[in-house]
Amino acid sequence: MTLWLMAGLLFTPLAWAVLTLLTDFSRGRLVSWVGILVQALVSLGLWLAVNRDGGFYYGLGGWDAPLGIELRVDGLAVTFVLLTAVVAGACGLHAGVYIDPDKPWHRYFWPLFWFLWSGLNAVWLGGDLFNLYVGLELISLSAVGLVALGGQAGALRASLRYLLAALLGSLAYLLGVALMYGQFGTLSIAGVATWLSDHPVPAGSGMALALMIAGLALKTALFPLHRWLPPAHGIAKSPVSALLSALVVKASFYIAARLWLELGQPLGSLAAAQLIGLLGSAAVVWGSWLACRQQRLKQVVAYSSVAQIGYLFLLFPLTFSVSETVSLQAQQGMTLQVISHALAKAAMFLAAGNLILSVGSNRIDALGGVSRFLPFSLFSFGLAGVSLMSLPPTGGFAAKWLLLQASLGSGQWWWVLVLLAGGLLSAAYVFRIYRASFLESSGTDQFFHPSRSLEVIPMILAILALGMGLVSDQVLSVMALPFAGEGAP
Amino acid sequence: MIRVVRLLILAVACLALTAALAASIWAIAGNPSPVNLPQLLSENLDRSGVEHPVTAVLLNFRSYDTLLEIGVLVIAGIAGISMAKTASLEDPELRTSDALLYALQRWFIPLMLVLAGYLLWAGADRPGGAFQAGAVLAATGVLMRLGGVPMEFLRPGLLLRLGLALGFMVFLLVAVASAIGGDAFLAYPPGMAKILIVVIESVLTLSIAMVLLALFVSAPVNDAEDPEEGSPS
Repeated sequence: MTLWLMAGLLFTPLAWAVLTLLTDFSRGRLVSWVGILVQALVSLGLWLAVNRDGGFYYGLGGWDAPLGIELRVDGLAVTFVLLTAVVAGACGLHAGVYIDPDKPWHRYFWPLFWFLWSGLNAVWLGGDLFNLYVGLELISLSAVGLVALGGQAGALRASLRYLLAALLGSLAYLLGVALMYGQFGTLSIAGVATWLSDHPVPAGSGMALALMIAGLALKTALFPLHRWLPPAHGIAKSPVSALLSALVVKASFYIAARLWLELGQPLGSLAAAQLIGLLGSAAVVWGSWLACRQQRLKQVVAYSSVAQIGYLFLLFPLTFSVSETVSLQAQQGMTLQVISHALAKAAMFLAAGNLILSVGSNRIDALGGVSRFLPFSLFSFGLAGVSLMSLPPTGGFAAKWLLLQASLGSGQWWWVLVLLAGGLLSAAYVFRIYRASFLESSGTDQFFHPSRSLEVIPMILAILALGMGLVSDQVLSVMALPFAGEGAP
Repeated sequence: MIRVVRLLILAVACLALTAALAASIWAIAGNPSPVNLPQLLSENLDRSGVEHPVTAVLLNFRSYDTLLEIGVLVIAGIAGISMAKTASLEDPELRTSDALLYALQRWFIPLMLVLAGYLLWAGADRPGGAFQAGAVLAATGVLMRLGGVPMEFLRPGLLLRLGLALGFMVFLLVAVASAIGGDAFLAYPPGMAKILIVVIESVLTLSIAMVLLALFVSAPVNDAEDPEEGSPS
């Protein structure tokens, strides 16, 4: 049964990419709805299966590592697979209504969307350094294609910048992979980690890890390498922005985190861990500050992503040379932050798209009167904002609470200041949009009212982000599941 | 002044990176790697269905990578044609009417097609295979295009999209067929590896050529008036 689920999980997005390539947008939408349903069911099935029996290694083509490629199907991976199914499914449903089906180039939306999804799944499950690189390429190229869709000059400029940044990041990662292979003779992460655990660290291996993490940090838009993100996420269509902010940047972060957790202790250093944490903190403060100063709605949300990504990088100092409990808390905090930010940010971008559709302008000062005539769209935007501000009982609060405990538990109290400052600044930019929406100029309803299905989808995502804090224990328990093939290859 | 300082800083940074890389490679080259993958590969080569180790890695041991890489190529093709601005790609202005080129073409095209076929077949036991053959096939197409041979199938229609996806589709079907049979995703049934690899390589050659050619032919035509350097505007 599990074998079938795995095959379905890998096959569905790729097959649907081909199917939708052969149809136009409207028929592609019908096909995609079926695909989203199938993929959601398969993801849920796999999550349940791992929840019951524990994780396992899945050798592709019947070959085991190091000769072949093994997928690492563990609790964390299936949780992110399920998260992808929820968020990408919601974005797909929203896009089906939101995107104009009559423009001929929009037919390419669906194949790119499905390739993106398959790349995400490949990254969550990947256990092989080079295979992860291929997954990253799938994601980056389809994301660039989605940003460029339509090909106006601004979109092309932003997507080209995105492409160059992503390629540079990929190449740095690939160089690291090459060094790793030269050193250890294998591409399997687990293989390298096992060997390192009972041998002394060979000279020259820190460079490989540094290159890989630097490349991935560029792809995740860690401060000060974040400048490509706001134009690309701001100019894309709202469902695309939602996908990019919620999932795409998480993929490169996830690889960096996996590498750090497996290899950071032997190959990393305290200075590197503190430096990455410092850059993350700078991202939190600087990104939030810039978000407060933007004039356009989607730019606010995009800069807020830069800030929220910063929190994730606190994982690096909080898991280096600390006790098991602190490390576990930091990992759980990171997982919850990824999940709740993905849900909240997708909700926020989709709601922002609805608001822009209604007022016909992407400027914040055009939002005046929205709170009276379009309360529903504004409400899902605000509800997502509550999770970003990390007020209880949201997932954002639970995540930051765990990170706070980990900081205090390891005596690194300085990260607490960052957590507090970030929360306050995010409140500032969310309330700024609320304030603009209350300032009425005409007092009459001149707005376009988007269809109900467009409004419901961000609302559901925002409620999920809100409720994530209440079910965090259940979500995190999946991570602690036994792993069948631990250390096997 | 500021430019010079910036350039200096950049140069120092590049030198530092190169030095660090060199030191790290020096250190790595001194130690033998703990896993001897090439030996493992040659031990398993006769189970792979082909004699050449590169083809065996690409299409059997690490076929998942190759499947996804073909996906990346298809994405590049899709992104390229999604930005094509002109409906008619057979712009007469882009054609050359060179008698010499036309005459040469009649010799070259059949030769290049034969070469592509040879490269494809050679992949079984020596360097070659779908990627190389596809590149030669695409070059043939570029030559035909420059020589003004009409290529109707390269309009952004169903035929083009079918061609882009054909190789990927066949590869994917083979991958899932084994999974339905109860084996792992992408595992070839015993005894079928050779024939399946040949089929996959052949359709991949077509699709790879199609992607490269589509990117060349569908390159966005610049509508803006930008005179070439030195020419009178």
